[in-house]
Amino acid sequence: MRAKAGVGALGLALLAILVFLAVSSWSRQPAAARPSVQPITFPHNVHVQTYKIDCQYCHADARRSEYAGLPSVARCMGCHKITAADKPEIKKLAGYAARSEPIPWMRIYKVPEFTYFPHKAHLRAGLSCQTCHGPVETMTTVGARTGPRLANDLLNLVGLRPAPPPVTMGWCIECHRRENAARGMHAPLDCVTCHH
Amino acid sequence: MKRRDFFKIVTTSGAAAAVAGCQQSAERILPLVVPNEQIVPGVAAWFSTVCRECPAGCGVIARNREGRVVKLEGNPDHPVNRGALCLRGQAALQGAYHPDRFAGPQQRQGGALRAVSWDEALKLVAGKIGELRQAGRSKAVALVTQLENGSLAVLMDRWTQALGTRPRVSLEPFGYEAIRAANRIVFNRDAIPHYAFEEAEVILSLGADFIETWLSNVSYARAFKRMHGFREGRAGTFIHVEPRQSLTAANADEWVRNAPGTEGLLALAILRAMIDEGLADRRFSEAVAGIDVKKVAEESGVSAETIKHIATLFGRARPGLAVGGGVAVTGTNATPTLVAINLLNAATGAPGRTIRFGPDSAYGKVTPYGEVAQLVQAMAKGEIDVLLVGPRTNPAFTLPGGLKFADAARKVGLVVSFANQPDETTALAHLVLPDTHWLETWGDYAPREGVIGLMQPTMSPVRDALPMGDVLLRAARAVLGTEEGKGPLPWASFEQYLKTAWEPLLRGQLDGWQAALQQGGVWRETPPAPVTAKIGAVQASRPKLDGDPGGLVLLAYPSFRFYDGRAAGAAWLQEAPDTMTQAVWEAWVEIARETATKLGIAQGDVVRVSSPHGAIELPAYVSASLHPSAVAIPIGHRYAPYHARYVAGSPTPMNPVALLPAGADPASGAAAYLGVRVTLTKTGTRRPLAILQATHDQDDRELAQHVDLSTAREQALRGKPKEHEFLSMYPPQHYPGYRWGMTIDVDQCVGCQACVVACQAENNVPVVGKAQAAYGRQQHWLRIERWAEGRPERPLNVFLPMLCQHCEVAPCEPVCPVFAAYRTEEGLNGQVYNRCVGTRYCGNNCPYHVRRFNWYDQEFPAPLDVQLNPDVTVRQLGVMEKCTMCIQRIVAGKDRARDEKRSVRDGDILTACQQTCPTQAITFGNLKDDQSEVSKLAHSPRAYHVLEELGTRPSVTYLKKVTRGHA
Repeated sequence: MRAKAGVGALGLALLAILVFLAVSSWSRQPAAARPSVQPITFPHNVHVQTYKIDCQYCHADARRSEYAGLPSVARCMGCHKITAADKPEIKKLAGYAARSEPIPWMRIYKVPEFTYFPHKAHLRAGLSCQTCHGPVETMTTVGARTGPRLANDLLNLVGLRPAPPPVTMGWCIECHRRENAARGMHAPLDCVTCHH
Repeated sequence: MKRRDFFKIVTTSGAAAAVAGCQQSAERILPLVVPNEQIVPGVAAWFSTVCRECPAGCGVIARNREGRVVKLEGNPDHPVNRGALCLRGQAALQGAYHPDRFAGPQQRQGGALRAVSWDEALKLVAGKIGELRQAGRSKAVALVTQLENGSLAVLMDRWTQALGTRPRVSLEPFGYEAIRAANRIVFNRDAIPHYAFEEAEVILSLGADFIETWLSNVSYARAFKRMHGFREGRAGTFIHVEPRQSLTAANADEWVRNAPGTEGLLALAILRAMIDEGLADRRFSEAVAGIDVKKVAEESGVSAETIKHIATLFGRARPGLAVGGGVAVTGTNATPTLVAINLLNAATGAPGRTIRFGPDSAYGKVTPYGEVAQLVQAMAKGEIDVLLVGPRTNPAFTLPGGLKFADAARKVGLVVSFANQPDETTALAHLVLPDTHWLETWGDYAPREGVIGLMQPTMSPVRDALPMGDVLLRAARAVLGTEEGKGPLPWASFEQYLKTAWEPLLRGQLDGWQAALQQGGVWRETPPAPVTAKIGAVQASRPKLDGDPGGLVLLAYPSFRFYDGRAAGAAWLQEAPDTMTQAVWEAWVEIARETATKLGIAQGDVVRVSSPHGAIELPAYVSASLHPSAVAIPIGHRYAPYHARYVAGSPTPMNPVALLPAGADPASGAAAYLGVRVTLTKTGTRRPLAILQATHDQDDRELAQHVDLSTAREQALRGKPKEHEFLSMYPPQHYPGYRWGMTIDVDQCVGCQACVVACQAENNVPVVGKAQAAYGRQQHWLRIERWAEGRPERPLNVFLPMLCQHCEVAPCEPVCPVFAAYRTEEGLNGQVYNRCVGTRYCGNNCPYHVRRFNWYDQEFPAPLDVQLNPDVTVRQLGVMEKCTMCIQRIVAGKDRARDEKRSVRDGDILTACQQTCPTQAITFGNLKDDQSEVSKLAHSPRAYHVLEELGTRPSVTYLKKVTRGHA
């Protein structure tokens, strides 16, 4: 009995220390959520809503590859050689094109490196981009808050089952289960399908 | 608080701290500026080319991901290798991504190589050649390259003519000149034919190591198993004669150990016995007039009964095939020996059937060693002022020590090497002009008449390099003072020359060039030309040996892992064990047990091996099977500078070629590899070898099983009597979709290690180094065990590829506290790295010893990290890993099938080991499909499971080796 109490006390002490460490650095925002960090302020809303450009016109690899892909500088310039060529942000773009330099976009979405996520299979299953990425068409600059969160972890720990945050494994699995049950899909639930 | 809760709190809070503690790093993603139409990021593009790791010239397809090649596979359409590759072909990638690759041209300044610009370097070469030309001494320029017989060869010959230099030397250390000479004498053809192993009933090899390096090892290993493998329904016989139990010998039904250098005498004695028994035409009597079987028996150490037995077997074969001329048995008597072998072939009716002149091998164009020796002598006399040494040619390492190449090279004013990584020759060079790796270059190569492989760049060069053809063209134009488009060498680049040269070949074909690039070349059937044998007396004697007459005969044999040493830069090959000894990294001297006992040498003792031409110090490997009058050392062991991280201490020379005399076989000009006796002295130090398999004794565990031929035939016909079935307390598993499984035919496996390296390349398996490997911490997911039965001096060897058995009732799974090892619904044992906490319980509980633990965060020194397969996780410290049956290929196969709205078909998915296997010993597929190849094989009467009695119910089924009256 005493040993058990000792284990419990040790566990709680560890927990307290780690919670303190976690909370003390919790105030930070994901870097990607700050709009100014992208090298060019790219408004998704203008492209999608005003000009009705399909997501896959620019992210053309999504239907055939693991990666959704970014448009090449040449593809951007295909329109912007003429369209809005006088705007300061477009001039930045033209600068990259003239120097034959890639645009150093800031990465927003990333699954861990031990995870294999193919865009292709999800498009084939009829998913829309917004299912995972949110209403990108309304965003002036895409930001995302993804990944595990302390609040969820703590709630989980005390036995509550909060909804998993977007683009975490629990969230993926829930969707796979839901779709399999509701639409008779064959979304895999096997660990090694994504972790290999 | 329960134990479970404690773990939960600690792991959860640990994870939370980890998340909170590290700042999210700002990662950039860069789009292409201008898209490349052939490359879709995330989707592999395949380019076909030709493997140039040895003159066999197998077809290769290179898997390019995001602009970098990550895996090589055999080209399934190529007539030489039919989709297979050997371990050297698989490891060629590590040559392209060699960490020591030169960053650009180098010039020796003050003793060390320093970077210079291409213009400066070219000016230097052109200036020197121009000077000599003006002085009328163009003949003081010599060009030495590896064997080339395509457009590059033609271009280089035009180059030597235009500049008036000495004719080009095609230096291949393993040139097989004696085979050509013997064919000239007997069949009147100065060529090396195509050997149709698959058509022979009996193969008699007198020292031809055709499973290791002899001529075309992938092609001949495959053809051999078509003739020998029970699965193909043709259980031919293979007899191998060699003083050492080589890998090829271990695959023989009968390995006959002879005294070194007696192959010719034995061939004649066998022919004599055939005539005596009426199994050969009396016409051949003339050739064997002076041969007495008993005398030969005495001299060779092979009993007269054995000689007669071989004669009966071989004489009855219609047809048989006798092969010889392996590098290790090439001495000053090589040509008469091969003449005798040719006569055996003529007697069995081999010409036109198992020996086919017409589709002649590229080896026929090798410059005989005798002429190479003349060049070195000219260098020593100061007659050569400019020596140009082509890529993958390392004469300072591959030429016999007696020739003293290094001393001769020091007399040359300008030594230029085209090597792209440092070697013994670049250490002597004044100038290094790194050539592109063959994966980065245009070219063509015809491994045999009628088969022309086309090479294309499969990626852009990893380091600053120029194709040798381009350098020669530019240098020549500078010397001749001509412009592009004019003069004798008008082509802007070698690529342009190649395309011009191919035009007539593809004339009249729509999209011929594209089709040839896609297919990997052009090929047509070349019918065998009729030949008649000239029968004459043969003076077969024993070879002349240099050195102490009381010494031991040195058997310097090519390593199947490193060839002549050109492949040794690949760390994968250093760590792929030599199948017979299971040693990795360091070279060894194989000493017969009798000699070791006499000299008091134990395994791992460092022994000084001395000949009149040099001495090397190597750890001893004590062998029960080696002929007592010989010692054996593998050729090709050398370290690259970056291997220092894997092997402690400063490297010592390991090259037995340094001990050889300069002499040659007089009739053919072949280098006498069997040419010296050596003496052994104990140095008193010890350097234990890293040997990965502790014992070759199965101890009645029946891991590798075998069945004799007659039983196998009967069971194949009538089925196997029902055996006792093991009872299990576990319910059978239900598989809703596929059930993946594998069969491994032990009878087909020749132990070539190609699968081991293919697995390493595919699955990002790290290299651990000698010390860790010696400690049993190698990371291979797949290994080839050698099990030996019977007398240790002449055992029956069975090769058992061992990998995760994907058990239905897996001992590893229930002991995992975090559910990282689990059973998938498709019959695999999954291993989830991100869940694994590294308790190693699973590894402890695995009866097959196939799980590997990451004791360190393994590094992949740049640019080798670029080779990593992006579809496979790179495992980190503290994680257990093992064979996944190439789950990434299964996922990709299912993805393809879904694209086409169908289910996976048999043969859609090939695992990396299966894909590269030269003998197709491995089959993978869906066990639930009765019609799949794997299902059929798994129900063969030869099928068994390793350690079946444990009740693990593996998904990997082995097929027993079939033995044919082994002694």
